Amino acid sequence: MKKVSRRALFALALAAVLAVGTLAFCVKYAANAEKWVTFSGSPHVYTGTNLTGGRIYDRSGVRILNTTDGRVYSDDEAVREATVHLLGDRYGYISAPLLGNFAEQMIGYDKITGLNEASKGTASARLTISAEVQKAALQALGSYHGAVGVYNYKTGEILCAVTSPSYDPDNIPDIAGDETGAYDGVYLNRFFDAAYTPGSIFKLVTSAAALEKSASAQTGTHTCTGKTIIGGQEIICMSSHGTLAMPEALAHSCNVYYGELAASLGKDALQAACDKLGFNGTLACDGYTARSTVDLSDADDGSVAWAGIGQYTDQITAVQFLRFMGVIANGGEAAEPYLMQKISRAGQTVYEAETKTTGRLLSEETAKALGDMMRGAVVNQYGAWQFGNLTVCAKSGTAERENGPADAMFAGFVQDEAYPLAFVVFAERGGSGSQTAAPIAAKVLAACKTMLDTPNPNG
Amino acid sequence: MQDALTTFFSQFEPVPWLCYLFPVLALGILIRCAVSLLTFRPEPEVWAWLTTPDGAHIPVTHWESLVGRGAGCDVQLGYPTVSRTHAVLTRYDDGSWTISDAHSKSGVFVNGKQTALSALRFGDVITMGGVNFTLIPLTKEQERIQAGTRTRAGHAVHQAPTLLLLTLFQLLTAVQLILGGCGPALELTAFGGLIALEWALYLALRAFRRTGFEAETLAFFLCTMGLAVVSSSAPESLVKELLAIVAGVCVFLVVCWSLRDLERAKAVRYLAAVAGIGLLAFNLLFGVEKFGARNWLQLGGVSFQPSEFVKVCFIYVGASTLSRLMAKRNIVLFIAYSAVICACLALMKDFGTAVIFFVAFLVIAFLRSGNFATIALAIAATGFAGVLVLRFLPYARNRFEAWGHVWDYALTTGYSQTRSMMCIASGGLFGLGPGKGWLKYVAASDTDLVFAFVSEEWGLFMAVLMVACIVILACFVVRSAPAGRSCFYTIGACAAVTVMVTQTILNVFGMADFLPLTGVTFPFVSNGGSSMVCVWGLLAFVKAADTRQNASVAIRVPHGVTPLPEEPDAEEPAADEPAPETPDAVWQRPNGKEARG
Repeated sequence: MKKVSRRALFALALAAVLAVGTLAFCVKYAANAEKWVTFSGSPHVYTGTNLTGGRIYDRSGVRILNTTDGRVYSDDEAVREATVHLLGDRYGYISAPLLGNFAEQMIGYDKITGLNEASKGTASARLTISAEVQKAALQALGSYHGAVGVYNYKTGEILCAVTSPSYDPDNIPDIAGDETGAYDGVYLNRFFDAAYTPGSIFKLVTSAAALEKSASAQTGTHTCTGKTIIGGQEIICMSSHGTLAMPEALAHSCNVYYGELAASLGKDALQAACDKLGFNGTLACDGYTARSTVDLSDADDGSVAWAGIGQYTDQITAVQFLRFMGVIANGGEAAEPYLMQKISRAGQTVYEAETKTTGRLLSEETAKALGDMMRGAVVNQYGAWQFGNLTVCAKSGTAERENGPADAMFAGFVQDEAYPLAFVVFAERGGSGSQTAAPIAAKVLAACKTMLDTPNPNG
Repeated sequence: MQDALTTFFSQFEPVPWLCYLFPVLALGILIRCAVSLLTFRPEPEVWAWLTTPDGAHIPVTHWESLVGRGAGCDVQLGYPTVSRTHAVLTRYDDGSWTISDAHSKSGVFVNGKQTALSALRFGDVITMGGVNFTLIPLTKEQERIQAGTRTRAGHAVHQAPTLLLLTLFQLLTAVQLILGGCGPALELTAFGGLIALEWALYLALRAFRRTGFEAETLAFFLCTMGLAVVSSSAPESLVKELLAIVAGVCVFLVVCWSLRDLERAKAVRYLAAVAGIGLLAFNLLFGVEKFGARNWLQLGGVSFQPSEFVKVCFIYVGASTLSRLMAKRNIVLFIAYSAVICACLALMKDFGTAVIFFVAFLVIAFLRSGNFATIALAIAATGFAGVLVLRFLPYARNRFEAWGHVWDYALTTGYSQTRSMMCIASGGLFGLGPGKGWLKYVAASDTDLVFAFVSEEWGLFMAVLMVACIVILACFVVRSAPAGRSCFYTIGACAAVTVMVTQTILNVFGMADFLPLTGVTFPFVSNGGSSMVCVWGLLAFVKAADTRQNASVAIRVPHGVTPLPEEPDAEEPAADEPAPETPDAVWQRPNGKEARG
């Protein structure tokens, strides 16, 4: 009996496991409760995948969302359409990680009282975007699908992050029944989450790689006869450009020049430049994770040449290319883009954005050389007149696609202390970059300038 | 009438500060039960004396006592010629005794005749290692004094106030649920029924002069939380759940009755063995698949899980008396029985229950053999089988896929666990309020995720208290083991409480992602009739090991002694009584140490 009762301690050991495990869970709770309660989809905090809690304002203090009681969007239909992808819809079709990323600050959660005392709805968040610019950009894109982004490369504020197509969340169209393709991928945020074959705008990356390797690359020449064969693959140009150096090659977007430049650079140098500029990896931006890939590990010479002119398997997101434009504009090092300016709750500021730098990604000389060449392209090719008195430096792209028109791209920046703005315009099936995308960029930049020139009554 | 009630209650809002009162009340109930169950002095009962040649009276404090020179013996004889473990003294329900040889060197002689097993009358001369001993009975007087001096159950902490606290807790729970929007008629029926049931049981046991009600109080507390969960998740099942509790209490009383008499319990064992296998075989043939496991039977509109009832059978089969253990009757038969049961469960894809049986098997096997090597072998073999199962059965592997990193599978295989943790966090320490939870929309949340369910609506604190109830029961069983009458009861109680603890571990840890989610019920709380009935049956085994004076209806008060009147003056031992025939020193040492120097 004594022996058996001593062995009964086995049961006690098991009870100890239960007690210790429960205690461990409580410790886990103490450490992680905030994360659990604000995790995407947490039932008391989210509707579907979208946070419910607080009021959201644009940079000028215009309220674009109130979730105190349901989800009340802006009164302006165009603003609703232009901002719904950042705010999320009512049914969780459009996932908007921006607010979820700041759920902890928005909710005001307390481990002791749970959500009972949480200041639901009393938080207000100010975004860096401008509702007016969003509206202008979506209108400028018109029926094109695509994305438009503008950001301040000195501070990092994203003024405009528009994706098209979009819809009015207060007046939802028949998306499922649509057969025209007008709503293809309507729930996707193309600014952050769509990776495009970049086409000619990628020649800026190839140029940067070459210039970083040797400053004299700018003056080196290649001769274009309209086509060339690299590593057994034929690369063609629209016309025979003759012998040209980098500035003219960039302005004319000469495929032969860049194919040969990329091949002579070699895949390692091009890959290294892409890695450094963030084109083969992710960019985290206030809850969004943008992913671009340039993977040359299996590329032969011909493929490297194609990659150098923005084809092959290159896939670039708008926001990451926008950041690259900022880096060129700001002398090789820029501010990281962000969307959330400030969150306040019960009269207190609980979050305020800080400008973070990308770190030095290009030498000052490279950045200046690229900027000058881009300015040259605008002046000589695209037409500086389009941009009024803004000193715009840019590169257009026409990314060929199977079946039908090419994607029109236009990316660049404003060289002006008062308007330190970088921009990208991706218009799917837009055809020529300079003819379709450049005018869109001009309209958006004009809207930005107007907005920045208007004194902000809300500070 | 119903409408009138609804209208009446709809005037009021839930009372916010009540959410802080519930944990206080619950803590009070638990502390009272814990103090009563864990601070008592285990006082073994003396059943007879073994006299030695030098005139010492060694108390025999169990129905089965190992006699020998070794320190592990219950009756320790300090003679070098006596073997380390020499013999087993066994007492039967009718007060008769036997002695059997436990593989001693020199053998056991009764009245000069060597014997392997022999009936023993008081006064017979027992010779072990050449030394003569005699078994002599307690006098009536000694029996009376013993009953008087042993601490009565519920002596330090009275039971009625604890039960009153619980009643208050239950009334407030019902009110809060009704104010939270649950149907008043239904809630009043359910909680009123529960209150009536617990008081009826309490008064009935009082009528039998049984004063230990702590374990039952803890069980009723957990049942209260169970009803609160069902009120929120499936109000239409409230009455069914109440009926399950009533049925559970009936099973509890029946099992208690069967355990009162060791001979009867041993006889029931064979019946239980056949019933256990029979139920599972029947289940395999006619079972219905629900939630991925084929462990349901549908009989006349009522569906139940036979595997739950097999748990009670299994413990009957597993528990064994010391005389059998010392006869080195190996445990092969029991291992075979366990293997058949586990195989049936595996065929039914009921892995959670299989794990429970396996752990219960381990505990029983260890208590019976004390052999770590056997246990290690069993674990290794099962681990190997487990690997094979995971290797070849994809549906089993799927369950393990998300284990340990549920947040990466938050919308697929980790859905239940991540929602649980989100809801626990939302509730904080005091909960969002009854009926305000969201977890009820997750499948099987009122059984598998019930810890989180209670956390969300009643607070993490309350959920932790539920776990504490189970831990208290386990500690109590282990604490009272040294005073157990027979190994049968000690092994039975340990196995029963192990099943409860294992279920709680699988339930809580599965939700918390410490273990894979296996879909096991939380004892007394989870929604489900079969598991409720079964766990009350298990509680009877716990009560059968409760040897505190007048504690348990599953324990018969010693032969010839009437239970004490309501309030004995226990503080005054035998001062006025005639001096006992045996040395007083024995009474001074109620823990049963031998009086001899």
